[in-house]
Amino acid sequence: MAEKIVVTSLGIISALGSGANANLHSLLSAQHGLQYPQHLQSIHAPEFLMGEVALSNDELSAQLGLPTGSNGYTRTALLAMMAMQEVLQGIDKDLLQAEGFAYINANTVGGMCSVEDLYPDFVSDKQEGDFLKYLDTLDCAESTQNVVKHFGISPFTATISTACSSSANAIILGVRLIQHGIVKRAICGGCDALSRFTLNGFHSLKNVDKQTCRPFDNSRFGLNLGEAAGYLLLETEQSAKERGAEILAVLAGYGNTNDAYHPTAPSPNGDGAYNTMQLALHKAGLQPQDIQYINAHGTATINNDAAEGKAITRLFENHIPLFSSTKPFTGHTLAAAGSIEAIFSIWALQQQKVWANLYFTTKMEELDILPVQQTTDANLQYVLSNSFGFGGNNVSLIFGKA
Amino acid sequence: MMQPVYISSAAAISPQHSFDAPALLTDVVSSNNGKLYVQDADYTKFINPVAIRRMSRMLKTGISAGMRAVQLAGIDKPDGIITGTGRGSMRDMELFLGDMIRLKEEALNPTYFIQSTYNSINGWLAMQTKCTGYNQTYVHRGHSLEMALLDAQMLLNENSTPQTYLVGSFDEMTEDYFLVKSKAKYWKKNIPNSLQLLQHNDTDGTIGGEGAAFFTITNSAANSICSIAQLQLLQEPTTETVQASINNTLAAEGLQLKDIDLVLCGMSGDARYQPLYTPILQNTTAHTTVAAFKHLCGEYDTATGFALWLATKLFQTQITPQVLIQKKGINPEIRHILLVNHYPQGTATVVLLKQYK
Repeated sequence: MAEKIVVTSLGIISALGSGANANLHSLLSAQHGLQYPQHLQSIHAPEFLMGEVALSNDELSAQLGLPTGSNGYTRTALLAMMAMQEVLQGIDKDLLQAEGFAYINANTVGGMCSVEDLYPDFVSDKQEGDFLKYLDTLDCAESTQNVVKHFGISPFTATISTACSSSANAIILGVRLIQHGIVKRAICGGCDALSRFTLNGFHSLKNVDKQTCRPFDNSRFGLNLGEAAGYLLLETEQSAKERGAEILAVLAGYGNTNDAYHPTAPSPNGDGAYNTMQLALHKAGLQPQDIQYINAHGTATINNDAAEGKAITRLFENHIPLFSSTKPFTGHTLAAAGSIEAIFSIWALQQQKVWANLYFTTKMEELDILPVQQTTDANLQYVLSNSFGFGGNNVSLIFGKA
Repeated sequence: MMQPVYISSAAAISPQHSFDAPALLTDVVSSNNGKLYVQDADYTKFINPVAIRRMSRMLKTGISAGMRAVQLAGIDKPDGIITGTGRGSMRDMELFLGDMIRLKEEALNPTYFIQSTYNSINGWLAMQTKCTGYNQTYVHRGHSLEMALLDAQMLLNENSTPQTYLVGSFDEMTEDYFLVKSKAKYWKKNIPNSLQLLQHNDTDGTIGGEGAAFFTITNSAANSICSIAQLQLLQEPTTETVQASINNTLAAEGLQLKDIDLVLCGMSGDARYQPLYTPILQNTTAHTTVAAFKHLCGEYDTATGFALWLATKLFQTQITPQVLIQKKGINPEIRHILLVNHYPQGTATVVLLKQYK
């Protein structure tokens, strides 16, 4: 049953730019995408650096051939459609459709980015207005359904929400649906747009840094939020070969576990992260020393980096892989983080490079290990990507060189 | 080909007395305002007294239903927890959003934000049962619970060792939700008494509902209530594709329509969707009882949870309460139940349940 699953197409939009080329270029040249947001309407916008996608909703709509203005599409859905447009370029749509495929999306707050502006109208006596176009956009499946409608496709669809591990879970589900023969291919990933709701939520938890975030640094204080969408096309190696598709990477293993410790904080010794990484290694049939690079969850919150770092130290012992967090490039893109970092991990394998953990200066008191400080060449066979979320929802994915 | 999986326990908190009532639907609850809210249970039996003080209604009902299903299964902890919800904790979301607007983004209480996260009930259930295994939350409107069931079915087929997963669903209705969706024309304009809902199927709209339902799902037939023999998920369903799905389901199990002792239909009194169920009412023979449930729980994304709980009770009691019956059949036992449900945002579900003997 366990056929080899490969990745054959990618789509991404983030603060680093729209499309693979722009994102890869930024990673290679160590240019981050954090700035004070231009589009997010928040009183905190001038205080917090964020990974905001440069394009406005009108610009995104125009690029997608949609009317501008209040067109009924939330920014969440627009970001999803942009990334989906790119991933669909990697396969003949008729073939995809004819042979059966899944679209597994992931999301944390649905169309909250629009709803938070319109809510007073939603709950007033008002019966007329543009807000009516957005009445069904609050839930997480709205972006999924809009993508399906926009591209005129009819996949098996599902939407997942496990906080910051959401899109990593979407990738796991895609693998399993293919291995069970339910679909031949799966386009998996996630999307989240910046919203005041999320910003204020993390701010009320005192989890947001006003400076650029500093993962695995002793002075770390919190995260920077970001927005993004990223999708991967998964299929069996055989299916990729049949259609002569270029194999970008192998999805070698995955793990999903729960911390069962606290609603928002990880277990202090990183037991949850340890179990998840260990399970992914087990699924992949690999030993700790087979992993050369970890794209860490590394949110730069006090708790995450301590727990994740301790888990890495314990699991990998004398074979600590190179590791870094790419969150200072993009901000923490929540539901999209798992899938865009899966893409960064695949590019690491393709480019044989590890990405800089920007803004690292001082070793953490709690750890004896140091992240990668500059983007450098490395000999990589297997890369592990971590995504850990509220509710103790932890996921690790392992990608292998094509 | 996937092996069937088995339901070994079921617990529901619903607008009916479903949680600890001694008998099934003997004291039927109805409403006249187009809304059916759950009957509160004694949540302190299932949740730590310190934690419960800050919890919203959705968390209390979801966690309690989940813990009760674990308790009824006679296990300490499940191997994993998989849930589905269309809306998550609506009230927490509304409170955080309302405060944010009112207080102009200053001095906000993070509790509402944390609890509004769609996977928060999963996290609590994992903590309470100390379950560090697989954990997943589906948020796909009318297929949220269905995806959770499919996931459990796949997991149980991936493992040959005996395993038990806690699978459930929860959705909450609020005043705001009702108002917002009234503008999207979800509800009936002239609201009938909920028990008369299905007789008013010549007008658009339905009534709102909510509930939490949890099940333990295993790959071991012993001590189970029934098997989930077939589970079909339909997108953008039509009368024809629903019929085809029913036919495929029966064919896959080597059954004929007359072998189905009871069809549990998700008709909601909404004229727009009634045609999906018309062939079922017409084609079933004198053998089969046709039953309905949404006049008892209202319409919501995971109303299949209530229906699935109801099915387990029908198997266990072998009695079909009159309030469910649309058309009475003559089959003496309830051994095969076909659940057919449609949800307005483009999904339908066909499930075949077989009593395990």
